[in-house]
Amino acid sequence: MREVHLKILQYITAIGIFFFVGVHLLVSHFSSGDPESWTSVVSRATSSGWFALYIFILVFGFYHTLNGLRTIILEFSIPQRAIKAVDWTLMIGGLAVFGYAIYIPIKAF
Amino acid sequence: MENVTYRVQRYDPDKDQKPHIQEFVIPFRHGMTVLDGLIYIKENVDNTLSFRSSCRMGICGSCGMLINNLPMLACHTPIEELKKDTITVKPLPNFPIVKDLVADLSTLFSKHKSIKPYIIPQDTAEAEKPTAEFVQAQGQLEEFVQFAYCVKCGLCMAACPTVATDKHFLGPQPLAQSYRYSADRRDSGAKERFKVTDTPHGIWLCHLAGACSEACPKGVDPALAMQLLKRAMISDSLHLRKKPVPPSVAPTPAEKKPRIAVPEFTIKQPGTKS
Amino acid sequence: MEAASKQKVPLQNRLGIKGWAWAGRYKIERYLYTLHRLTGLGLFAYITLHLVANGSRLWGEGSWEGTMNFLSNPGFKVGEYLVIAAFVFHALNGGRLMLQQLGFTLGKPKPPVYPYVDAMRRRRSLMWAVLVIIVGLAIYVLVKFAM
Repeated sequence: MREVHLKILQYITAIGIFFFVGVHLLVSHFSSGDPESWTSVVSRATSSGWFALYIFILVFGFYHTLNGLRTIILEFSIPQRAIKAVDWTLMIGGLAVFGYAIYIPIKAF
Repeated sequence: MENVTYRVQRYDPDKDQKPHIQEFVIPFRHGMTVLDGLIYIKENVDNTLSFRSSCRMGICGSCGMLINNLPMLACHTPIEELKKDTITVKPLPNFPIVKDLVADLSTLFSKHKSIKPYIIPQDTAEAEKPTAEFVQAQGQLEEFVQFAYCVKCGLCMAACPTVATDKHFLGPQPLAQSYRYSADRRDSGAKERFKVTDTPHGIWLCHLAGACSEACPKGVDPALAMQLLKRAMISDSLHLRKKPVPPSVAPTPAEKKPRIAVPEFTIKQPGTKS
Repeated sequence: MEAASKQKVPLQNRLGIKGWAWAGRYKIERYLYTLHRLTGLGLFAYITLHLVANGSRLWGEGSWEGTMNFLSNPGFKVGEYLVIAAFVFHALNGGRLMLQQLGFTLGKPKPPVYPYVDAMRRRRSLMWAVLVIIVGLAIYVLVKFAM
């Protein structure tokens, strides 16, 4: 994948995160009732709409964060021959943590 | 003010372990530039002070230095404009130091060379054996001419936060020049330049801090050029970029002006009879 | 015969990371770049903690309630506010950066006439509008948290 494609995806995920995480924040922090109580959490976890939202947040958020980290790491004079190692480390590490993260809503659903 | 204090960073790699600041107090006169002060110091106080200068009128880009924590051209900076009676002068950051205020700009020039800073014409036959000038409308010229004012002074590279940490990053000057040539209708080498700028240390490490445009002494606005380059590259990757129309050659005029007769020589030419 | 002198590595003179924090007499946009980076890294750190906290759900209601009781500490509430403020800044400033990096809102190039004003400074109203919205939202969120 060319660098320009990575950047286009960075922009797309940024827009997605803005909306999805925005909804998540509004409900978690600014809605009435107790959104952090076990019953509220379970009711959202078993709802297909919320499940889809959490999956989108995780997919978009992980890509955006890992690509951002990659950009910051590259800015430390990483030589050309080490860039692939950085890419693979971030991809494998990122996928491992993503696997754990996505297991939570899937198990709850 | 009667006097002005110069705090100049000194560093001789053959003698010094690390740079140090040396102070000079020199007489001030109205209209004096920072370069005038440095020349005064070299001529009257310490002739070992090393710095670059040439045109002393802001056109060659040789005298780029860090003046009171901002990269500026010393010849283009009147002391009164700084509004202080103490001037701190250091070499441009993000470049190796040769000596005192002289920075090694060879990385700038090699990066500039890597983006092919010349017109790559589509019609090579016309370019090599031109029959007439290429036609370029005023609007087409204005798409890139601002970026053609670059004097390669390196101030933008000194200001850029990415160049500060990444020695492989191309930098504002080469990237702006990449856009200057790619946007020129006479050029057809945009895709070749995109291969150089669309790399891990290419255009995408620019995050629009805007410091390069602040530092630029010629109003080139490299930040604008780089964002326009990003737009062009994204459009090109999504196949949305309009195929540039190659420039036309100026038509031969229907009527030629009459040749002006060469006047008689007033001085006897060698080999002619008087 | 003189011994060949060892070629010294020239002093690199790079600003490095400290150039992110304070680089010189630059305008606000230079430091908005630094703040964007810091908020991004802060949100990354928060996300890792958030995943750990959410993972307590897997062990049932008791584990979840225990985690929520622990996180209801006032110190964590301050952290929570800072995370929301960081998200608001990163999202809105990121939106501004995205528009400008795609070439919108910066205007067209024009031949430079002294005194030079670059495109970002000519169209500063967008930056100020975004900053006003960010500060307004941060104050609103602070009031909501305090209540």
